[in-house]
Amino acid sequence: MRLQYDWRLARIIDDENVILDEIYWTSSRGISSVAKRLLGMQKGRFTNEAKILFERFDDVKISPEGHLEDIDWPEYTQEDRDIFEMAVIKMAKLGVAESSGNMDRRLDMLVSSANEIRSAWTTSESRCIEWIGLFLTELNLENKRKEIIEAVVSNGSIIEVANFLETVSPLHLPTTEEWTSMQHHCKSVIDLVIRMDEHEEAIRIFSLDYIPSLSALLGPLGAAKLVVLAGSRERLARMPSGSLQVLGAHAAMAAHRNGAPPPKHGSILFSMPQISKSPRWVRGKIARYIAGKASIASRIDHFDGKSWGKNEVDEIFQEVTKIIEKFPKPPKRTR
Amino acid sequence: MRRKSLSLGWGIRREGRNFWTRNAVKGVSVRKEKRKRDGRNEWRHWNSTKSKISASLLRTKKDPRDLLPEVGQTCLYLGASVGGTVSHIHDCVCGSGNHHRGKIFAVDISPRMMRDLVQLCDKRPGIFPILADARNVSELSPFIQKKVDWLHQDLSIADQAKTFIKVSEAFLKRDGVALLSLKGASERNSEGDMKNRFQNAKTIIEDSRLKIIEIIDLKGLEQQHILFNCKFR
Repeated sequence: MRLQYDWRLARIIDDENVILDEIYWTSSRGISSVAKRLLGMQKGRFTNEAKILFERFDDVKISPEGHLEDIDWPEYTQEDRDIFEMAVIKMAKLGVAESSGNMDRRLDMLVSSANEIRSAWTTSESRCIEWIGLFLTELNLENKRKEIIEAVVSNGSIIEVANFLETVSPLHLPTTEEWTSMQHHCKSVIDLVIRMDEHEEAIRIFSLDYIPSLSALLGPLGAAKLVVLAGSRERLARMPSGSLQVLGAHAAMAAHRNGAPPPKHGSILFSMPQISKSPRWVRGKIARYIAGKASIASRIDHFDGKSWGKNEVDEIFQEVTKIIEKFPKPPKRTR
Repeated sequence: MRRKSLSLGWGIRREGRNFWTRNAVKGVSVRKEKRKRDGRNEWRHWNSTKSKISASLLRTKKDPRDLLPEVGQTCLYLGASVGGTVSHIHDCVCGSGNHHRGKIFAVDISPRMMRDLVQLCDKRPGIFPILADARNVSELSPFIQKKVDWLHQDLSIADQAKTFIKVSEAFLKRDGVALLSLKGASERNSEGDMKNRFQNAKTIIEDSRLKIIEIIDLKGLEQQHILFNCKFR
């Protein structure tokens, strides 16, 4: 005996293909109710009719694809066809709308946008500095780097900028249009800084709520970047800590597949002072240790564990100090 | 000089190395492809470098008609993306306003792709957009009304051949056409180089109820892709 069903009806059929019982969905049909039904079925739930038949008979085998095999399965009426078509489109639209509730996608947008702003800032900022340096030849571009751009924005001409920064006036002056372009470009760099701060603040707030333990361990920005690199919080939580350790080291991993030595850590872990400020020979050990702990933290966050606070993280960092103390000297080179 | 055109079935023809489908929505291109008028009809260019089906029509050594669904048939397209290829299949299966009563179930897992696909479906009745994981047969079965005549799988996942067999066995009619666009780069690294990966897929398909009719290499049109043309026994 087997139970076959689609959204319109459910049927119990015995081994000789005789219909023992069937129930049709008779209540009034709307697009929403059909969509709701299909959604339930997609998630593996019974329709009401299938549920009644399943409880009515003992020893029933369920075959969700059975209606496809059955040559006697009722054809769609015109009404069925129309309502089904509309319901399927409605479901697809609903699914698309649902995706804005996906925290991973939102975090991805935020972090990717912040990354793009940062790379735009780096390019534009160095261009502005070079541009101004072309005219103000005596200016020390390294020491005064932070003041130069603001000086251009707040002054009316390149000579005023030179006076403001206490340097020699330029030999050749930019044209009015050139100066305006330069000033506007500098202004956009300052705007980028403001936008970057806003983004990072948003990421911080988001991370502290979404991945509290991982944020406590790696910092909210690093934690958010790890989640984005992994694809989602769930994927990060299910990832072996060895994979987590090398997240962000794609090129090195690709080289490793062709015979190069394995990377010690990815870019996110390296940005932690515990790793980047440690001696070269213990970085791999610390990266492995912290990756293991980060892996646990991401699992706590994803599977609703008790979040880590300062105490747990301090304990981990003490352990890191012990590792550094244990290996005070670089290992001897072996042939 | 005008090129001689060869009909490959209703709503599709070949002119030299180009394929054209009869546009079901006149005056609209789906992905900025060329259109041309011919009397009352409008034809839309089916770019072989952007569609694996079109590429295989060009590369096949057998009759290209065998690769295409017939008018009014039911098709299942896994990995529909934004519906570029789906729209051409719709041109030949459903026609304008779906007067041939064909059906195309277009499945994709990504809500971003589904967003554009749904807009295409609004204009082209007969396409059913399904947001689901194609690897999971039970996610698709509530939508499929009857076994389908034609199946194309274009997924960038590992175990493409296994998924292909699973889906074919669940949804494909006897003697139905099953096409698998196998992307070598998506298979696991542990399976070895491209040649090995294609060979493994071939072995898996040969052990199933699918009969391989032709293996089409899409080199030059799609990198690291081959297309299996199979029939379901």
